[in-house]
Order: sequence, then C-alpha cells, then structure tokens
Amino acid sequence: MRKVDVIIVGASLAAAAAAKRLVDAGLETVILEKQQLPRHKICSGILSPRGHRFLIENFGALPRKVLHEPTSCRGVTFHFPSMLSMSMDFFGGPTPHLHRKYADHWAIKQSHGEVMDETSFLSLTQSDDHVMVRARKRGGDSFQIQCRYVIGADGPVSPVLRSLYPSYHKDIPMFFVGQKFHEIIDCPLDEDYFHFWFHPDLGHYTWSHARDGRQIVGVGYKVGDKFHERHAYVANYFKQKHGVHLKPADVDHEGCSENFGPSLINRYVFGKGRVLITGQATGFLNMIGEGMSCALHSGAIAGESIVDAIFHQQPVQEIYRSNIASEVRRTTDQWNPLKIAFAKPHEADFPKALMSMPMQDRLILMRDIWRFVKLYKEFKWGRQIAALSMQRLFRGDYSQKNWL
Amino acid sequence: MPTIISHSLPADHVAPDALLGIPRQQSNPSRWQGGQWHEFVQALQQVGIDIQQQAHSTGIYITDAGGLAHGLPHGVVIAQSAEQIASLMQTAQRFAVPVTTRGGGLTTEGESVAFGGVLLDMTGMSRVLEVDHKALTVRTQAGIFWHHLAEELRRDGLDYLSAPLNLTSSVGGTLGVGGIDVNSSKHGCSADQALALQVVTPTGEIVECSDAMNHALFERVILGYGQFGIITEALLKIRPYTPLRMHYFYYNSLHPCVEDLLMLDRSESCDYTGILTMMDSAITLLVAFDSVERETAFMAQMKGGLRGYGEFMFALRLAASFILRPWAWKEALFLLQRKRELFPDLQPVHHMQDGVMYDRTAVFSKAVWKHWGERQMVIPDLATSADKFIEAVERGNAVCRNYFPYYTLYCVGIRLRADHQAHYELSSIPSDAQGWAYGCEFEPMYNGQEYSRDTLQSFKNDIYDVGVELETSYYRFGGMMKGYIRRALGDAVVEKHLKLKQQADPAMILNRDVIF
Repeated sequence: MRKVDVIIVGASLAAAAAAKRLVDAGLETVILEKQQLPRHKICSGILSPRGHRFLIENFGALPRKVLHEPTSCRGVTFHFPSMLSMSMDFFGGPTPHLHRKYADHWAIKQSHGEVMDETSFLSLTQSDDHVMVRARKRGGDSFQIQCRYVIGADGPVSPVLRSLYPSYHKDIPMFFVGQKFHEIIDCPLDEDYFHFWFHPDLGHYTWSHARDGRQIVGVGYKVGDKFHERHAYVANYFKQKHGVHLKPADVDHEGCSENFGPSLINRYVFGKGRVLITGQATGFLNMIGEGMSCALHSGAIAGESIVDAIFHQQPVQEIYRSNIASEVRRTTDQWNPLKIAFAKPHEADFPKALMSMPMQDRLILMRDIWRFVKLYKEFKWGRQIAALSMQRLFRGDYSQKNWL
Repeated sequence: MPTIISHSLPADHVAPDALLGIPRQQSNPSRWQGGQWHEFVQALQQVGIDIQQQAHSTGIYITDAGGLAHGLPHGVVIAQSAEQIASLMQTAQRFAVPVTTRGGGLTTEGESVAFGGVLLDMTGMSRVLEVDHKALTVRTQAGIFWHHLAEELRRDGLDYLSAPLNLTSSVGGTLGVGGIDVNSSKHGCSADQALALQVVTPTGEIVECSDAMNHALFERVILGYGQFGIITEALLKIRPYTPLRMHYFYYNSLHPCVEDLLMLDRSESCDYTGILTMMDSAITLLVAFDSVERETAFMAQMKGGLRGYGEFMFALRLAASFILRPWAWKEALFLLQRKRELFPDLQPVHHMQDGVMYDRTAVFSKAVWKHWGERQMVIPDLATSADKFIEAVERGNAVCRNYFPYYTLYCVGIRLRADHQAHYELSSIPSDAQGWAYGCEFEPMYNGQEYSRDTLQSFKNDIYDVGVELETSYYRFGGMMKGYIRRALGDAVVEKHLKLKQQADPAMILNRDVIF
C-alpha cells in the first residue's frame, strides 16, 4: 500500500494552491480527481483581482488558453427593478475571465502535485497518526492509500465533508445556480462588466455576461424550483426591460448546487482531526458569489497549516483555525452591513458609486435593495448578521464557536 | 530557468503587467524537481563533500525569519572552506542543481529558503582570521554573526562600523544585501565597510576582489543579492570602540519628526539617528553620540531647533490630549504598557553606566527580537531620496493603519559613497538619491492576532504600490517581492545584470529565483 504525506481530494483551484504550498515544502502530495483532466467546470469564471494576483504570484503569467473571450472583466454592474443601474470598476484593474477547464488544469500542473485523475474518493478512516483513504479508479477496483493528512477541496457538495459530517448538507439551505448560453442578436449590456440583478422576482442570484461570442443568462434559487421556467422568466425580463435580444438557448446548459449562506453567518466548516476542508466546501463565498479567490487563499492556508503542523509538530486543526481567521474576517466582512457602510470590504467601491448618484435615485436604490434582501427572510439570517456586526465591532474579530 | 517576462505593456488586460501596470511575475518559485540528484550526490561524495539529506537535517531550514515562505532543500552542506564550496559549485554547475546560500537566515521574503536543491549553510565558516590594529581592518570568514565579530573586536577595544540591529545576521549575507544601522547616516550601509572579499564564483573559482583587484566582480558581489558569488572571507574596515550617549525626543506627528531627522543628518551633528514610532501620535527620534564633545556641541547648538519634547513634557501633552477622548483610552493604555515594557529594555541597567550605553548591538538586538520578533516577520519598506521621504513615510503609515491596529515604523538615513555608485546599481539605493538615501520599514505588531500569509502579502503589496507610484525603491525586493524589481530599477538595469548573471552562472543555479 502506498504511503504519502498528503492527499487532496478534488483538482480545483483550492487544490492547486494547497498542493503548491505542500510540494514547495518537500511533502509528497497526491491529488485525487474523479474526472479526467482537463475537466469541465461550471463557473462564471470572473476572478476577483485578489485571486488574479495570487495566480500570478504563485503559478506565473496566465497562458491565453486559460481565458475565455472577452479575456477580462472591468467590474460589476448592478441592475435594479426601478431600472436604475450602477457600474463599479474593480480596484485592482481588470481581472481575468477564466476558462475553468484549462485554468484549473494549468494551476494543478504548475503546483507539481501528483495527479490521479478518474479516481473517486470513497471513504476515509482516521487514526492517531495517519488517515486511510479508500478510492477507486474508473473501471477498476477500490484501493487504499495511507497519508498523514487529507485536504477536502471538493466543492459545495464535498464528499470528504460528508464523510465527516453526514448530515451537514441537509442542515444548511442549498441553492441551485444554472446558466444557459445564447447566440446574441442584440445585447446592449456592456460586455466589459459582470451584470447582476437585485430583483426579488428574478430569483436569489441572477446574472449575465458575455462569453466566447454568446451571452450567459444565469439564475440562482433555492433548491426545489424548476430551472427551465426560472430561466425563461429571466430571459424574457432581459428582453422586455433591457432590450437583450437573444436566440433560443443552446443545448449546453448547465447547473450545480451551491452552499450559499455560511459566509454570511460565520458558520464555516474546516474539518476534523487530520482532515481539513477548504475552498468552497468550507462555505467561503465573496459577495457577488465569486468563490475562486477564497478557494485559492483558503487552499493555500490549508497547505501552510499542514506544513506548520508537520515541521512544528502541532495539532493541524488548531493551526488551520488560527491561520484561517483572517480569511474569515475578510470574507464575512463583505456581508457585514457596518463594514459595507464604513469600510471597503469589497474589491469595487459600492459606497462611492452610490454617493455619485442623485439623492432621489439613492433612496430608490436603497428601497430596491431592501426589497431584494427580504427575499432571504425565510433563512432567518438577519439577526445573526446584526449580531456578527456587533461582535466584529467590539471584539475586532468573529467568534470561532460556530465553526465545524 | 528564470522566468523572463515581456517588458512592454501588452494589449491584454490580464497579462502579467495588468495589475496597476506593475510587471509582477511568479514570485513564489516552483520547487526544483530533483533531476540528476542522485548522480550529483555521488559526484559530491567522490570529491569528499558531506551532504546531509535526512529530514531532521533539512527540516530545520524549512523557512527563514519571515516565516512565510516554506521550502525544503534536498540536501544540506555545511560550509567548511572556500575549496569545499568551489568543488560544490563546480559539481552543481555540471548537474544543474540549484544552490541556496544561508547565513543567519534573517531574510523575510524566502531569499534564504531552498525550494529544492542544496542549501549551503555558511555558519560553518565563522572564524575571525586577523585583526590589524594599525590599519584598523579585520579579516573574517563570512559566515560569522555580527555579534560574534563584535565580541572578538571588543577584546582589543575595537568595533565594526555599521551592522544590522540583529544579533544573528551573518557578515556575508549582510554584505550581499546592504545592512542598515542607526549610524548608517554617518558610516553608510554595512556593505560599504568591506574593503576586499574572497569570493567563490558560481562556476567554482576562488577569487580575491576589491576596488583595486577584480573590481568588476567586487562591484557585483557587494549588494549583489548572492547572484554573482558566495562571499567566503571579508576584509572589513573597523574603528576604535566607543560607548553610546543616547537621547530620545518625542513627537506627536510624523511630519515634523521626519523633517528633524533630515535636518540632523544634513547638519552631521549626530553620530546616530533614527525614528521609531509607537503609534501615530507617539513617535521617538533617537540621537546618540560617540563622544562627550559631540554630545555637548549638539546640546548647545542643535537641540533648541528640534520640535520634539522630552519625556515628561510629552507625557503631559499626551495626557491632556487623551483626557477629552475617552474612546481613545485603549490607545493610552497601549502606550503606557509599551512604555513600561519597552523602555527598560532600551536602557537596561546592566548595559548602562552613568547614562552611557555599552554594547548597543546586544541592547538593540534583544529589544528588537523581544518586542517585534514574531513567528511571521513582515517588514515591507520604502527606500527613497531625501525629497520623497516624508511623503513615502506618511503614505506607508496610512497603509499600515488600514491593516493593523498597532505597528511600528523604523526610519533611518544611509550615507552614500560617491565612489560606490557602481555597487548600488542593482540595490535598494534609489538612483535619484544624492548624499543620503532614506529607508522606512513598516512592521506590524500582531498582539496575538493571526494573519494569513496572503493578508500579509496584500499589506506588503500595498506598501510597495506606494513605491511604484512614487517611482522609488525598496530594501526587501528579492524573493516573494521580486515582482517589483523591474519597476524599481528599470528594465535596462535588470536586463544588464541578468546578462551578467547568465555569463557568470551558465546553469543559473546560485540563489535562483531570488532576483531574476
């Protein structure tokens, strides 16, 4: 049976970041990926400037192949039911529009971690000084690998997380996000921006942007609704209100489950014993739903924590939880109303864009935002967010009590 | 091979140049993958070089004082002689195995961390070879720590000119990067006290160099970031030892304090000057003298012109300013605590006699480690000409305020030597500096709070972005911060040195990824 230092489950950006730190520190690192690489990945691909910097600093200049057309995004445009809209440029300059299939594969290769693709994670068993991981190569028998630590970087419905906390995903609200691709007849939406709608009728998360000559119409809602109906409603709204004329959607539509919520209420999950959870599986998500930069940074922190644990001989969970605290502050600050009003937790200047509008428009816009936020009332996050804002103000930090 | 990036701003917004127009590049290097390692080890053993490969030997070099970059060498060689190092380099060239040199390991950006390959631990060569009392020079092996050198010199009533305020930085490492002290405004950077060096070149030749002999190599190795050779021995200028007569002046804002520092340096009335901040409203200007005469002359002529206060008057003013601001009492408590803990360590009884300080290296080094030493040391800095210094300090201070509740700024002047212009070419000394260059280090105080490596990296980037806008330079621009080198020094200078490096080190193995 093979023995390695670390097994990472999932070949995503979080995995690449973790592998980079581990391989640099001379640790034997194996990445398990259930699909064949390069593999398709559902994603808007708009990376935040912070994530862009991380990619360059750790993996080098981005090859053209890892980018969609348009290759970059200048910022975000918000649209409201009152037909007001506001555009904000990113602080760090335009950011890449990543083709996840190739970007993830490129980052994984640059990390020099050893990849076992077409290999599914099945289960794990923890002992005092090691973890036994059972996996299966497609079409083959299951086999075991022994390692000192496991990193679960396997996305919102993380099988590694499920093996630790079997009921976790049933206990949090799960959302569905889906996107369809349309040939464009006429689209007045500026293709340099990512467009987002604060409109309660359209759904919890509604977006659009251009990709490789087509327009994406994306919808997000609580699991249970019907994707095609939701999408048709949104596409029709775009046509009626914004003059977006699109051909019927192409057949290659796609969707996935999302664990939106833990970032808002500081209920992250970071693992147990010798198993660390990282990336979006932990619940990290930036405000416009961008998870790639959080994935890169939390992945790197997971890798650094294992390096610390091995070379300083300390318990890994303790180190990981103390190292990840600043990433928690950064992410949860983005949802903290006090921070939004008085600091600049985002990578684009919302208060400035708001203040540049006439007073009357500002009031209408705040009303629209309030109506949109009410859509989330059923999750009862309001009081928790208010309490967290106070906690941050007086303690300077968020509590670690509710982390799993 | 090094990453060579394109120099013109490309049309593509997300190319490497896109971030604020800064030509950043991969600055966390890829680990060397170990090609021909076993053949290399066999060849080393044949020439009698001992290489340690067990994890318990390599693991202790996993990181540097910065504590952010972690890399494990394949093997460690403890330096013993120039001949041994020459053989090592010849073999390493043959098998293209990277060699990373390390003295005290006091880099903060991973410059002395080996991402695979050989780590050459220079502390094995730490003997003082010869002290010349008449010519006032010392010849020493380069792996020696400055405090050890100071101890040896003190026996003869002698002292080095200038060295970093740190007990465990090595002579060779310091000569390679610069080194600043509170007397650098008088004596220049630490590297400027080197008169001659014995260097092992990247191809394994042992060469003696100085201003008169092999001067081109001397120019490249001094402040050369370890790119052009390994310093094995150094001949340094020294001076008679003098104890220190210290005075502190207190300011409640940065601007007048920095102006006074610049004025004092220009007047050449002090032997030691520096600024150390505790908070934005509590700033200390340190001045000190080598002799009673200098001290008396300063007190008579210069002291009246300073805008700082004595300790008592400053405490009264601070108390008055806090009394009406109860919401800021937390800061007042911090200052009181700082005064109670730090001040005794800056004037310890056992190192003081009649108000005069003996052993400044020991006093300052201990205080630095005790009060600023953390598991992770992040000290971004800006190096500017005198003209741009105030703006650089104030803007850097604003960046600190965004990231941390408490932080310290350490500012010092560096006297430039006109005859050493060539030495400064690939260094932190900004090309527009005349007479003096100025450096300001920005050091966060964590107070038990943990920050992720990337938060600290963002902080460093924000400080360095100020430098980009001011078109100035940095002291710590290697390793993880090397993405800024081209903007600080210009493409022409970097390209010129890259060509020289490729000639001197065909396999590009010595301290790779530090600069190029």
